[in-house]
Amino acid sequence: MNTWFIVAQILGVITIIFEFASYQIKDKSKYFRTTGIGSFFWLTMFFSIGMATGMDTQLSLMVAASYSTIRNLVFWRIFSKNTPQSKELGLNFLLVMIGVALVAGTLSVINAPEQVRWLHALGMVAALSFVIGQYLPGVHYVRITVTFYALIVMLTQTPLNILYGDFRWNIMGILIELAKISSVIIFYLRFAKDPKKPQLQFAKP
Amino acid sequence: MFQIISDGGCDFTKEEALRHNVEIVPFYVTFDGETHLKEGVDITNEEFFIRLSTEKNLFPKTSQPTPQDYINAYEPYLKAGKNIISLTISSKLSGTYNSATLAANMMKEEYPNRTILVIDSLNCAVGQGLILREIIKMRDNGIMITKAADIAKEIIKTTRIYFTLDSLEYLRRGGRVGPTTAFVGNLLGLRPVLHIVDGAVEQLESVQGKKKVLQLMEDGIVDALKDDLHNVSLCIGHILRNDDAIAFKASIEGALGTKITNPIAEIDATIGTHAGPGALAVAYCKKYESLVRR
Repeated sequence: MNTWFIVAQILGVITIIFEFASYQIKDKSKYFRTTGIGSFFWLTMFFSIGMATGMDTQLSLMVAASYSTIRNLVFWRIFSKNTPQSKELGLNFLLVMIGVALVAGTLSVINAPEQVRWLHALGMVAALSFVIGQYLPGVHYVRITVTFYALIVMLTQTPLNILYGDFRWNIMGILIELAKISSVIIFYLRFAKDPKKPQLQFAKP
Repeated sequence: MFQIISDGGCDFTKEEALRHNVEIVPFYVTFDGETHLKEGVDITNEEFFIRLSTEKNLFPKTSQPTPQDYINAYEPYLKAGKNIISLTISSKLSGTYNSATLAANMMKEEYPNRTILVIDSLNCAVGQGLILREIIKMRDNGIMITKAADIAKEIIKTTRIYFTLDSLEYLRRGGRVGPTTAFVGNLLGLRPVLHIVDGAVEQLESVQGKKKVLQLMEDGIVDALKDDLHNVSLCIGHILRNDDAIAFKASIEGALGTKITNPIAEIDATIGTHAGPGALAVAYCKKYESLVRR
């Protein structure tokens, strides 16, 4: 086992920690900062795997991770500023991100084998809904859409992807997606006991 | 007994102002940048908002009363030997506080034995109106001017205002939201909920749909007021949505289990220019009695 592969596993564990932590956070800007750092480690993980096994196999994943890192960190800056100008910028950025996801998803559907095109189309829908869900206000949309997205990613990128006929034993990939799903479940279990607060929190006089 | 003067941002009707012996110094509005009309004098609220909603490319401007307007308002009372409390809209929303202060300083030179206390409400519309109502009560209950001003400053710290808008269109026209935000927001039927923080307007949240936003506002009000209901004064305001305001008021009364005694107010053009027809506002503050008892 070469060093790069071991480094990739360590980076994968760090990614899991950040991804798990991010879905325990209610504050939007802190969520984006944490998940953005997680995405960065995710990117470096693919880079390390690329160094271990050859970059050509990891290039598309690195592009996806870069897209995710940039998106999350830009959203972090936008949400932490929270001014009308930053919101306008954020919305324009979101529209660009939707456009990029739409183009990438369409290409992925076109290039996929015919029998799994539906799965890739579903992947595109999941990715789009997640990007929009991240931007929408409140704590629920992002958690619902990330669960859907993580399930689809597991179906298309992991051993559960049996439709291709070849099993991809990307254990770290599964763990990262499972970290997101389990974090969402734990989030709801943690906060289910909290007294219900109104969605619009008005200050006391 | 002191005289109370407020700018037009308090959303008092002429009748109310007369009944409570409050002098209102109106704002100016202009549609073309040339003709400046005194709000509530040369043009009624209703006329203003109907024009605003029917002329799509119109963005009227409001401007503060001048120092001379304030001198004209102060002087008769000073001549009559009265002291004055002058309440203004938030200094972060308008230069009215500066006009009022400038005029007060000039008048103090002429009438050194008189007191003019200019108070920045750090609020607007029905929020400012509530503070004004508490000052009226203090005056009518014989509280001295300096004590009333001190308590008013404490009331200001407890005053909250929240308003929801029918659309983002008027915020866009005023440059307060960008064109993409307005387009997407209107497409999705988002209704922003705005509030005032430290005297400036900020967006609290956006909620999809009118019914939902009113329900969430009601929930927010109940949660904020349920523990101290009897010490709180509350008021509803609107722009060309009297029926909605009546229904909203009744719904809040039902949820709180108490009557809102303050009349529903029509929001003036200063805030209304940016909020637009369809806006609904709710404000609350501590009653002065609860702060005196402390």
